[in-house]
Parts: sequence; structure tokens; C-alpha cells
Amino acid sequence: MDDCKQQQTLIPSYLDGELSEAQAAPLRQHLLACQGCRNAAQGERSLKAWFQAEAAVTVPVGFAARIARRAFEGDTGELDAPLPANAPTPILRFVLTATAVAAGLLLVLSVALRSSELPSGDRLRADSDTLQPLDQVLRELDAANATAERATDRK
Amino acid sequence: MGTPTMEQAQVEDGQLVQETLDGNRMSFQLLVERYQDRLFSLARHYTRNPVDAEDIVQEAFMKAYRRLASFDGRSSFYTWIYRITVNTVLDVMKRRGRSPVQSVEDPELVGEARPVACVTPDAKLHTEEISEITHRVLEELPEIFRTALVLREFEEMSYQAIADMLGISIGTVESRLFRARAKFKQKLLSLYPEFGED
Repeated sequence: MDDCKQQQTLIPSYLDGELSEAQAAPLRQHLLACQGCRNAAQGERSLKAWFQAEAAVTVPVGFAARIARRAFEGDTGELDAPLPANAPTPILRFVLTATAVAAGLLLVLSVALRSSELPSGDRLRADSDTLQPLDQVLRELDAANATAERATDRK
Repeated sequence: MGTPTMEQAQVEDGQLVQETLDGNRMSFQLLVERYQDRLFSLARHYTRNPVDAEDIVQEAFMKAYRRLASFDGRSSFYTWIYRITVNTVLDVMKRRGRSPVQSVEDPELVGEARPVACVTPDAKLHTEEISEITHRVLEELPEIFRTALVLREFEEMSYQAIADMLGISIGTVESRLFRARAKFKQKLLSLYPEFGED
């Protein structure tokens, strides 16, 4: 039994091809003679079925060139400050950024349109049913920010 | 021309390292291209998130660039950068708040690991499903066991290479793998008892 215990410690190395012939030969003989140790060897071998070769990885296009450029530009390559646990995910950050950009563009557009519609001379008068585009844009901005904040809170 | 031998590859790596240190950006790019696939593959065994994997590999190469002058050629460039990558994995995962399991006690000092009975994947499982299960179990293991199994079973490194990589003796590699495999089986059965032998 002690011999079995000792032999079984060699089984993983044997299966990994790490034993010399001088070490492997006695183990092989023992396995031929010992059902228990053969079962132990089969148990070790069965583990390898869990470590199967995986599909080839996909490296992002241009990865190497980008790394080399950043390295030579003096970029330390370290990640930014650690993200807090409740930090917005990259997708949410994109949504927030896109929303802010869109709101800014709307603002610029509405100002431009408003400028082109500005009456001159005697046409200049206050008109109570003319909605201020700027107010509308500001309300849209507030709505967009509130939506984004709610999304962040949910995360 | 054929595939370069290990010695040729080592000479070429050494040459590329020197050229990089001399200011040749293309030489460094070639080094990255040579090993990026293997490092991405390694990172994937620690995280299934492709963004995290890319961050890990990127940071590993940048660290390698900063430390390039310290590469003395005693080990292969691959071993050297592999070691950097394994260390980077832990750093990145900790910063992202997803630390690998660190055993409260030294798993190598805990009582003797007893081999567990045969556990095989169900024949109906697809490769992807087997991979998911395997990595789920690996996530539950102490880091020293997970790394030993990744290097041996996925990267198919020899005991000597693993010993060089981790800075430990071959005897330690053997005992660590023995315990890691037993722990893997135990954890597998606790998470997926259906795979136990009838």
C-alpha cells in the first residue's frame, strides 16, 4: 500500500511526460500489476479532458503598431486610475458622451437657425407664441442628463 | 526556409531587444507581433472579458518595454515576458475589483490532497461549454494553483519552464500541480456534482 501511495505521486509526472525512462519503467510495471493504481492513473488522465485547446484568439487589428507607437511616445501604458465599483461602464460612458455631443450640436444648430430667422427693423417684436429654441434645447439637455443619471443609478 | 529553431528564435529576440534599445520602433513592434497571440491566449485563461484581456496584454508589453534594459538573456524573451504578464494579470484584476482567489492559508501547507475519483466531461458537452465550466472552476482556485494548471494544461509548458517562469523548484512544480489537480477535481464536483462518477 505504501508502494502504491509512492507510485501514485509519480502518475501525474508520468502522464505529463516528465519522467525519465529510468523512472517511468518501474511505474509502468507497477501499473500493469495494480488495478487500483491503474484506476488512479485513469482518474488523473480524465482531468485532461477538461483542458481542451480553445479557438484561436483574435488580436485587435493594429495592436502591435499601436503598442510600439505608445511605448516610443513615452506612454507608460498603465491603466487610468482604478475604476470605482459603481463607475459607469464603457457603454454607458459612450452613451453619456454621445448625448452631450448631440445636445451641444442641437444647441449650435438651433442658435444658427434662430439667427437666420431673426426679424429686422419693424418686424422686431416680441411674439408670445414663439418658443425660445434655446429653452427647448436646455429642457432637452436636462431630460437627457436625467435619463443618463437614472441609468447610472441603476448600475 | 522553415520554422526557426528555439535557439534561432532566441538569437533573433535578443537582436530585436537590442535594436529596440537602440531606438528602433519597428523592432519592438516585431517583438509584440511575435508574442501577442500567446499573451492574449494566456490572459484569456484569467478573464473571459476581451476588454480586460486586451488591457492585461497591453500593460504587460508596456512594462516589458520599460524594463527592456534589464532583460539579460538568461531566460528566453518569451519566458521573461510571460512572467511579466502573469504578474500583470493579478495587478489588473485587483484594480478592477476582481481579485483572483487568494487563499487565507497557504494552500501548499494545508494537509495532503487526496486524489478524487474519475471526473470526465459529459460526452454531450460542446467544447465551449467545457471551457466555460473549466474556467469557472479555475476562478475558484487559489491563484498559485490556477497558474500552475494554466501553464501546464493550456500552455503545455514543461516542468522546467514552469519552474523558470515562477522562480520555484521543479519539485515544487510537481507538488503544486498534484495539489492543484486534486483541488480542481474537488471544486468541480462541488460546483457540478453531476460529473461525479456513478
